[in-house]
This record gives sequence, C-alpha cells and structure tokens, in this order.
Amino acid sequence: MLFKLNPQTTKKLRRFREIKRGYYSFVILMTIIVVSLFGELLINNRALVVSYEGELYFPTYTDFRPGTDFGFDYSYETNYRDLKRRFEEEGQGNWVLLPLVPYSPNENHSVTGIYKADPPTAELQHYLGTDTTSRDILARLFYGTRIALFFSLGFLGAVYAIGISVGSAMGYIGGWFDLLFQRIIEIWSNIPFLYMVIIIFSVIPAAYAISTRIVILLVVMVLFSWTSMTYYMRTETYKQKARDYVAAARIIGASNTRIIFHHVLPNTLATMVTFMPFTIVSAITAVTALDFLGFGLPPPTPSLGELLKQGTENLRTAPWIVISAFTTLVVLLTLVTFIGEAVRESFDPKKFTVYK
Amino acid sequence: MINKVFAKLVLMGLMGLLAACGGETESTTTSAPVPEGTPSGSEQAQQFYAANPEFFSFKTPADVPTDLVWENGSHLPEIGSPNAKKGGVQYEAMQDYPRTLRLVGPDSNGAFRNWILDNVAVKLAHRHPDNFDFYPGLATEWALSEETRTVYMKLDPDARWSDGEPVTADDYFFMFFFNRSEHIVAPWYNNWYSTQYTNISKYDDYTISLTMPEMDPDILYNALEHTPSPEHFYAEFGPDYVERYQWRFVPTTGAYYVKDEDIVKGRSVTLTRDTNWWAKDKKFWKNRYNADQIYISVVRDSAKMFEAFKIGDLDMFGLSLAEYWYDKLPDSDPDVQNGYIHKSVFYNQRPRPTWGLWMNTSRALLENQDIRLGINYASNWDLVIERYFRGDFQRMRTPHDGFVEFSHPTLRARPFDIGKAQEHFAAAGFTQRGPDGILMNAEGQKLSFTLTSGAEPLAPVLTILKEEALKAGLDLRIEMLDGSAAFKKVQEKQHDIYFGAFGAFLEMYPRFWETYHSDNAYDDAFLEDGSVNPDRQIKVQTNNLESMAIYELDQLIEQYDASSDKQEMIELGHRMMEMHHDYASFVPAYVQSFYRVGHWRWVKFPEGFNHKHSDTSGELFVHWIDTELKEETLAARRSGQTFEPQINVYDQFAEEL
Repeated sequence: MLFKLNPQTTKKLRRFREIKRGYYSFVILMTIIVVSLFGELLINNRALVVSYEGELYFPTYTDFRPGTDFGFDYSYETNYRDLKRRFEEEGQGNWVLLPLVPYSPNENHSVTGIYKADPPTAELQHYLGTDTTSRDILARLFYGTRIALFFSLGFLGAVYAIGISVGSAMGYIGGWFDLLFQRIIEIWSNIPFLYMVIIIFSVIPAAYAISTRIVILLVVMVLFSWTSMTYYMRTETYKQKARDYVAAARIIGASNTRIIFHHVLPNTLATMVTFMPFTIVSAITAVTALDFLGFGLPPPTPSLGELLKQGTENLRTAPWIVISAFTTLVVLLTLVTFIGEAVRESFDPKKFTVYK
Repeated sequence: MINKVFAKLVLMGLMGLLAACGGETESTTTSAPVPEGTPSGSEQAQQFYAANPEFFSFKTPADVPTDLVWENGSHLPEIGSPNAKKGGVQYEAMQDYPRTLRLVGPDSNGAFRNWILDNVAVKLAHRHPDNFDFYPGLATEWALSEETRTVYMKLDPDARWSDGEPVTADDYFFMFFFNRSEHIVAPWYNNWYSTQYTNISKYDDYTISLTMPEMDPDILYNALEHTPSPEHFYAEFGPDYVERYQWRFVPTTGAYYVKDEDIVKGRSVTLTRDTNWWAKDKKFWKNRYNADQIYISVVRDSAKMFEAFKIGDLDMFGLSLAEYWYDKLPDSDPDVQNGYIHKSVFYNQRPRPTWGLWMNTSRALLENQDIRLGINYASNWDLVIERYFRGDFQRMRTPHDGFVEFSHPTLRARPFDIGKAQEHFAAAGFTQRGPDGILMNAEGQKLSFTLTSGAEPLAPVLTILKEEALKAGLDLRIEMLDGSAAFKKVQEKQHDIYFGAFGAFLEMYPRFWETYHSDNAYDDAFLEDGSVNPDRQIKVQTNNLESMAIYELDQLIEQYDASSDKQEMIELGHRMMEMHHDYASFVPAYVQSFYRVGHWRWVKFPEGFNHKHSDTSGELFVHWIDTELKEETLAARRSGQTFEPQINVYDQFAEEL
C-alpha cells in the first residue's frame, strides 16, 4: 500500500467487508484474477506432465518441444492430444496428463473436418463449443477475459498515475499552471476518443509483436482517458490545501513534497478509490467495443469483443457463441460494479459524520 | 473496362465504418451559377479539338475506306429470355451510401457505379456473354482496318440519352475532351485517353473512327467498349466539376435512370426503368432490364442484410461463402423446403480475381528467393480450401487463370510441404527454432512477417494460415485493416505480405505491365546495360505490389505489349508466367468457379439461369420480377401453403480444373 493505513482507513475497510455483496464480488474477482495467472495449467494444448521412456517432462511453461522429442516425425510443436492417444494405444507405460481443457485459444480443432462453429460437447472437451473457425470458445473466452482484466488494470494504473499527478499539481500549485492545464485538458478531452484510436491504430505498423501492440493500444487509450481523473483530483486537492492542517504543516516547515504525499494525498484516497472500479469497467468496455469494431487487438488474439462480434453475426446458427461471450461480459462488469458500489459506500464520509 | 479503373481492388464486403450520418438533406443538385463569360463545356471542347488537330479530325463520309469488312454481331444469339415479364420492383441493398453520382473523379469508383454505369449503360458494342464476339450497342456496325489500326463505327441513329437528346458523334469527341481534362481529377483516365488512342475522326453525325497506337489482338475491345459522355449535360463543366456535378445524375444510354427525388441521401437510391428506352426492342437488349424500379437501400452490415433477405425485404442474396450456403441458409431451411426461397449455383467461365499472398520483394528477407519459396511451401491453402471453404473453391494455379489458351497449361501452385519449406528457410540461414518454435538465423533474427489485409470477412482464413505456417517455423503477424487503409498501405509499398486480389475483367489475355514491370516498382530500376541501378527508389501508387523488377521480364513484357500476333503473345505470356512462378513472390490462393445465390420465388431467371461469362446473377439483367408470383408467394407464406423446393445446380459451363 502506498500510504500507511490510518485508523480511518482500517475502519473503511472493515465497513467494506461488512457489505457482503461487494465483498464477495471482490473475492470472486480476485480468485478469477489469481486463477487466470495460472491459466496455462487449466486451459492449454500443452500437456501438464508427459512421462516418456522413463523421463518426466513439464512442457507448460518451457520452450516448445518438437514432435521429434516424443517420437513423432515432425519438427513442429508436439500435439499432446495425439501423443496421449498414441501412448494409450501403444500401452507401453508412457502417459500424458492434459489440462482440463486441452486446447489453445488459437488452434483450429474441428470436430467434423470442417472449420465451422460447433455446439458444446463434453465428449471432445469443447465445453462451450467452438467458434466459426473451430477454435475452442472456453479457451478464447478465458484468455480474452484475462487480457481484458490485465489490460484494464494497466489502464487503471496509468490513468491514475497521470490523472493524480496532473490533478494534484493543478490543485496544489494553482494560479497560471492551473489555468493553463484546465484549457489544455478542455481541448484535449474534446478530441473524439474512438476516432483517434481508430486513426492512430491504423497507422501503427504491425511489425511489432502482439504484446507490443497491446501496450500501444493501452498507451493510446490512456492518452485520451486521463483527463477526467484530473478534475476530481484538482478539486479535492484545492479543498485539502485550504484546510488548517496543511497550513499547520507548512508553518512547521514541511516541504511541498511532504505536504503532498503525507498530508494531501492520503486525504483524497476516498475519491481515488471510488472511481477505481468504474475506470476498470470503462476500460473493459472500451477494449471490447474496439475489438467488436475490428480496431482493437490484432487477430488472432482472443478477445471478448471479437467473440461478441462473431456471436452477433451468427446469432441464428451459433447462439452458443454470443451466449458465452455475453454472459462473461455481464458477469465481469456486474462483479466490478458491485465492488464499486461497496467501495463507494464504505468510503463515503457522510457515513461517519455525526452532527450533534 | 474503359469505365473501370483498372486498379480497382476486389474488396469483399468493405466494412461499413462508424461514419453513419443518415438523414435526408436538401437536394444539392443546384449549384452556384457559372460566372458570365465562362465558356460552356462544348465551347471548351471545341477549343480543345482545334488545339489538337492531330487527334481530332473532321472528315467527310467519302473518307471512309470502301474495302472494309463490316461486322454487326448478327450471328450471335439473343441474350434476354422470351419468357421475361416487365414490371415489379426489385429490392436491393448496398453497404455504403455512394459518395457521389459522378462517373469519374474522386470517390466515383465505388460499388454503386455498377448500378448507374458498368452494368447498365449501353456501350458502342459489348462482348457477348456466351461467345467472345461483340454484339451491337450504340454502334450498329464496325470494321477494323489493320494497316491503319483504325476501327470504324456506324452509330445507331435511334440511340438517345435518358433525357431524350440523341447520342451523336459529338458525344464521342466530347468523351475524349472530358476524360483528358484535369478538371475531372482522375489521372488514370487522363493517361488512358491520352496514350491508348491516337485519333478520333468524325465522318458524319453517325459515323466515327478510332485509331490506336498498337495493333494488338484485342484492339476491338479497346475501341468498342466505350460509353460516350453527354456533351449537352456538361454545359457547366469547369474547374469546380468535382463539386458541381457531385450529386447530378449523368444521363445514361441504359435502361435505368435516377430521378432527383429518388436520391435520399444516406438512405436509398431508386432506379427507374425508362419505358421508352431506345434499345428496348433491339435484338440483344430486349427482355432484359425488366424490373420497373430498383430500390437500393443502405444496410451497413452483411448479417443484417441477410436477415432482411430472409424476411423478404430483399429479393436476392449472394450465398457464395460456405457459411451462408451450408449454415445460414441450409437446404433444410423451412423457407427453402417450402419453396419460397430458391437456391441456385451457377458455374461460369471468366478470368478470376487474383486472390493470393503478394510479397513485397523490396523488403528485407523477402528479397531472398529461398525465403519466398519457403513461404510458398508454408502456406496451407489446400487446408483452407478443404476445411474453411468446404472444398467448394479450387486452388489457383497462377494469377492468370481463366484466360483459356493464354493461361499456362501446366504450372501449378506449390503445395503445403513443411519439409521443403524448412529446406528453403535453412538455405536462407534460418536453421534454428527459437523457444516459441519460430525459426531464427545465426544473428538471432526471427523469421517473421506482417501479413496485411483489408478483406475483413476473410480474417479467419489468415488465422488458419498463421497457425499452419507456424508448423514450418514461419511467423505471420496478421494486420487486419479497413479496406481502403489496407489498399493505401500496399499502394505505398509499405507491406511485407499482402492478402488481397485485383478484379479481373472479361478480356482476351492477361496484363503484365501493371503488376510486373520494373517501371512500376522503381524509378529507373536498371542502368543502360541492364544492371541494377544502385540508387533506385521505390515507386509508390502502382499495382506492382511484389516490387518485381527483372530486366529480362521487362523486355518480354514490352515485346508482349507490342505484339500483334496472338500465338507469339501466348508463348510470351507463358514464359512470363513461368518466370513469375520461379520468382515465387506470389502465393496463389483460390479461385471460385461459380457463384451462388438465394432468391425469392418471384425472382425469375432464364432457362439455364445465366450466361457463360457472367460474373454475378444480376449483372446482365436477364432476370425479372414476377409480381403475380410475389403476391401468391406472400399469401402462401401466410396461409402455410408450400411449393416444390428448388435447389438448382447449373453446371453446363463448369470447367475441369
């Protein structure tokens, strides 16, 4: 934690725990995030463990293993599902332990020999069916959600870092600096965000790796989203700055840095925390919308928006696509919103203000 | 073809952008008056003719040579069906509202132009859709003089513009003035009309001739496939042409015209059939263009378009994609089984769009032939065709398929072969697989390329290719752009590998200069002695997407373009195709040898469905709307009455591939 918890904050956290709906949503979301960190162990086409000729292999997080390592005649990545089948047929004591869902989000695995959307089957372990090019929906949903979540966390961090610094500086320094930045922000925030993302993204060379492109998208989105945070921070800092305790600190001889970080910022915590979940919601929605429109993450990156798009295009013929994508999105956004509500409620100063 | 910019790109279902500004606006067909004293369009044209006496000649009927052999296409069969009925409204949809009603100039080269020009306007003469010969349109007869490379034409005195004015020799003169004018902001047209013709002569109001610089085997095509420009309409022609004529419907020689009140901006355009059309009883034009009106509305999304078709708001829907033919409108669909919607497959014969991977050989690594060969072997098109297109399409052999004897008889695209791909990559120094399975060379450079495309609906194809290429250690990074952004990128030669296609027109022989000549790859590609110019610069805005520059090939292309001997051209063509194949800068993808369409029961087609060289079911306007059947079908749908299901395959023109 950035700041030392003062008794008030502990009180707020306790209050948060008491709001059950928000608290459990928080627990569930955290579980999802933690589980998704180890997603490769659950949903992946690489085996967890391979026992081949007396030796154990753990291919999940290692370099790729060509088929030749396990007695296949090809030099590309081993197909562990084939390997498992082969070992079972050979019956020589070799074995493969596959993850729960043995598919990667990018591989085309067709049930019928034709790449098309297939309904869910437990038998082939396509628990949510496949998309229009026979990719496992559960895998795409899972990794798509993971990207969206971490993307939004990164977005949150960056927007807060910029928003808080600029906002506090505006409030604290005031004067011409404040005026100037207000005008800059007014101009900047009038640039239509979606169009800018589309324009910028269409000129960025695709020569970068997908992860780099995701970071670029993040940067572009942050560039056009940090402004709203500054308004709240500016007001809040102004308010705190005028308070007696700041004047007192200044008389004692505290430096500006000390005043900002030790006195003003901790007292604006309520504002920052309250907006957190909503920033996350907007980031998830934005990245989903961009993908839906085809301007987000480059294919074949798994994404909720891309699945939603496929789903709406095949509403009649493959309803399972849109159902899973839509449900995931609703659940995710609901969880975050519940958390947001609880946070807002527990950090609401009115709760603790008693007039006598 | 004269009317189609050659560089037209096939953009399958250009994605409708966000820019959806709907709503009716006031009619903008009225513009500011032209300042007094400004010469009218035809005065400017007269000055232009006077300034170019070499090009524009005024002669007398006595100057027409007497020993000419006149042709009139009378041996050809009729095109329309005698069963056709006039009447009814045809409901169509377009993805984007046209940005202009002009026929040339900025934004005019969109899909909508088919409705007001390419598929509708009558030209001097047209290629017969079953037989390569010409049938008469605005010209009744034509004759070729080989020595003088001149085509003489007698114009039909009956021909009228849709506003009632006669079509005369003056309109052809004006066509040259107009298309060579800088005011139209269309450099391609300026160039074509300046370089492809050397003279136009008027003998009387209804006799003209055109002279070409070269005597090539397809000279008639260059002379006859012209729609003139109406001189009387362009009275206000001037530097502000682009804005002034933006929303004015150009009078047409065809059967459909657009009324001012039928242009509902952002929503729809309605075409109206000219009941007094001058060609309505002519042999090759009767029983065609049957619907009284064609109502074309904007539906931005193809999924929505399909739903509109499914409820009967649209009459026809293209089902060429497998997912539509098999999944979205399967044979078992109640509307099909009840006989309300008919499904038809028609096999046609014509040059095919050149779908494939275009490698920019001016880029690092791609200049290496081994890398290019490796990419050829690492592209699993057979899998895409078999699994994604469900075996309906065929593998393309060369980018010049469908030109009969001009196509190469034996060349075949390279198959997917991981072993061979790796051999070639190894020969280029890529021997080691990295931790992610992608090949690397000794310097640690990854074998990775960007694969750009604007064909958004075909993105799944690229993801399949990517997964398969990885098996050979090749990394393809997919970059899916908006259609026009992608084409801009490749025109700027900023791509590594591009997936897309050029449209192919019904021509006798393929073209090579545009796509393979070094003139279109570099400025001064070679020095005098044929060696590579070390200071050469990439040339942008051309169709040589592979940046091909081979001195020997240049010579062949020039020889080919200058040749007038068909046999020689065939041999030269084959040699060039072999060179191109060996150069391996293009991975042929697939060809579609048919088109499939779903249409409501009231849309009727001739027996045999359509003509051999037709490109789409509606292109030749041989279908008709049976209004009685429409009422009957709609009533039957309400009452539950059913008809015999109709799923028809017309394979009389299917080719062995």
